[in-house]
Amino acid sequence: MELILQSIINGLIQGGFFALFAVGLVLIFGVMGVVNFAHGELVMVGAYTVWLLHAQNGIPFIPVILIAIILVTVIGLLMERFLFRPTCNDPLAGLICSIGILFILQVLATVVGGDGPSKQVPPPYQGTLILFDFLRVPYQRVFSFFVSAAGLGTLWYFLTRTKLGWALRAVALDREASALQGININRISMIAIGVGGALAGLAGALMAPLTNINPHMGHNVIITAFIVTIVGGVGSLSGAVIAAVIYALFHTFITVYFGGVIATICGLLLMVVVLIIKPTGIMGVRVSE
Amino acid sequence: MKITRRDFLKKTATGVALAGVSAGLPVNVFANEKTIKIGMNIPMTGDYAPWGLPGLYGCEIIANDINAAGGVRIGNTDYKIEMISFDHAYDTEKTIQGYKKLVLEDGVKMVMMLGGSTVSSILPWAQRKKMLTTTLLPSDITPKSEYLIATCESHPLYNVTGVEWLAENFPDAKTAVIVTNNDVEWGLQSASTYKAAFEVAGIKVVDVNLHGFDVTDFAPIVSSVLAKKPDIFCMATSFYTTPLMEQLYHQGFKGKIISCTLDYYNEVIAKTSKEFVNGTIFQFPDFNDPALLQEGIHFPDPNGFDAKFRKDHPNDWSAVAWEYPAILLNWIEGAKAAGSIEPTEVLKTLKSNKKPNFVFGGGRWWGSKLWGLDNAIVGRWPVVVIEDGKARIKEFRSLTGWLDKNSDVLIKHMKALGLHTV
Repeated sequence: MELILQSIINGLIQGGFFALFAVGLVLIFGVMGVVNFAHGELVMVGAYTVWLLHAQNGIPFIPVILIAIILVTVIGLLMERFLFRPTCNDPLAGLICSIGILFILQVLATVVGGDGPSKQVPPPYQGTLILFDFLRVPYQRVFSFFVSAAGLGTLWYFLTRTKLGWALRAVALDREASALQGININRISMIAIGVGGALAGLAGALMAPLTNINPHMGHNVIITAFIVTIVGGVGSLSGAVIAAVIYALFHTFITVYFGGVIATICGLLLMVVVLIIKPTGIMGVRVSE
Repeated sequence: MKITRRDFLKKTATGVALAGVSAGLPVNVFANEKTIKIGMNIPMTGDYAPWGLPGLYGCEIIANDINAAGGVRIGNTDYKIEMISFDHAYDTEKTIQGYKKLVLEDGVKMVMMLGGSTVSSILPWAQRKKMLTTTLLPSDITPKSEYLIATCESHPLYNVTGVEWLAENFPDAKTAVIVTNNDVEWGLQSASTYKAAFEVAGIKVVDVNLHGFDVTDFAPIVSSVLAKKPDIFCMATSFYTTPLMEQLYHQGFKGKIISCTLDYYNEVIAKTSKEFVNGTIFQFPDFNDPALLQEGIHFPDPNGFDAKFRKDHPNDWSAVAWEYPAILLNWIEGAKAAGSIEPTEVLKTLKSNKKPNFVFGGGRWWGSKLWGLDNAIVGRWPVVVIEDGKARIKEFRSLTGWLDKNSDVLIKHMKALGLHTV
């Protein structure tokens, strides 16, 4: 029972991270129709920012999180303005551009951080929360979980309670119809990638003290984000959040009871099974041609 | 003689130019000395860089010291040592390209490599070219790999010394779990050795958790194995010692921790606590350890080497920082004894020595029982424990003694994990 409860907590915390970066990917794809392969590298930039400014230069953690969010948002905006917007009529060109950015960001990370071992960030919040004498959660993870939840909550408020959010969802549903209603598509695209970038920066910053930081860490992030996006339903934000939690719990329990390698295989199998049984994903809707 | 202003300017300019050119020329051009080129085909970027780049830095320190002292006399010739490196980033195609460049274009006399798939990729060509090549993974040796030798690290065989020491000093520790990456080159080789060592020491392995290289969260893995209530947590040869240790700390593990490596242990301490990391057993010393000053250590001024390395490369010390230099020193001894720098001659001389020099002493050629060829030097190996936040050698133990008695147990566990033996 202890192991089951511990695994549920581990899974929920992991789900928070998955949701943060998967939602950003979904948002960019939904609004712009671009599969942003560099999304994992945006997360990596967030993590490197924390390593460079907080671990190496001693700047306090919270301001560094904000700097990471701003930096990754700016990178996202530049990508939109100079890569995705000029190629908006050709999804393949956007995809190739994003792969190019992926490599550029990896090389830049190597230039900034140098070669050698993965970077480590000592957790700003030391210690472990012990619940009922047997559940143990590091304070750093508790912090990360609540900040992730707050980030997702803010996004939900933005999308459902503000005009800009409504416009964004409208463009995600139908670009042409939205344009006909007077919505500025370019502006909304910039907001979408800005929000997606901000979430990626936040995810990277929160993950930094909990994981190995290296220029290739985005690889695992993007695979997870794709699985979550497909399971949740491509283009569905709520689906991405639900799928992130389901996938994280699924992966955690398989890891605990059958091992890490089996968990990786099962995660990919889950995606294949969803594609066969319900190609639209958990929350996706079938779009008629 | 009347000197015009133009003549004056011309001659002055010529003189300045000549002085400048001669000042810029390296001293060895005038000394007419010969140079031996030693190749390093290693990962200097990417995930494996920590097990490549520090080795190059270490070899440069040794080569500079030798050159500053006038070089090395082999036969009747004085040579300077020149290190030539190629970064293969642990990619087999780049490895082949780099190996051929080092041999054909640079004319190196030996190629040092990390091991694994990169060594396998060049082995047939290296054999045809009769090029002396070294590896840190003796499991790369095959019955036909005559020119491949492992003269320093005998990964992962030396791990048995750590288990022996643990069993003797903590007799109440009776159960162990092993968590490591699921790969043939590092994780599985190491896991099989630890399983054999635990069996010989009377310690029961209650769980083996093998994971991929895509793990971002080690909490579930650690929760899973700690549920078995082990006395010992073994990380074998893991690429993820820091996150594993961090999870052990947060999940309240109180038992003994043993690992093949604990590179960058200061980062582990920063993420956990000195008290928690103290007592962790592993196999790779810092070279500022006073125990390395005792007799039988074949490494010149280890403490001075450590100080120089950390001064020039303060954050780069890893297990390989002294290993490639030890291989270089071993080759120099072989070349001196052979009176030749040619790979075939050096190899023949090295192999003919029944008591070869080994960095920690007590070396002998070994390997045919496992890999079909006695091309690895095994000898004494240190058991290292973290004490007061520092790696300290507790004891040197004979690896050969264990292997003589228990090779069959090791082969049994290697076969159980699908690993190649003869």
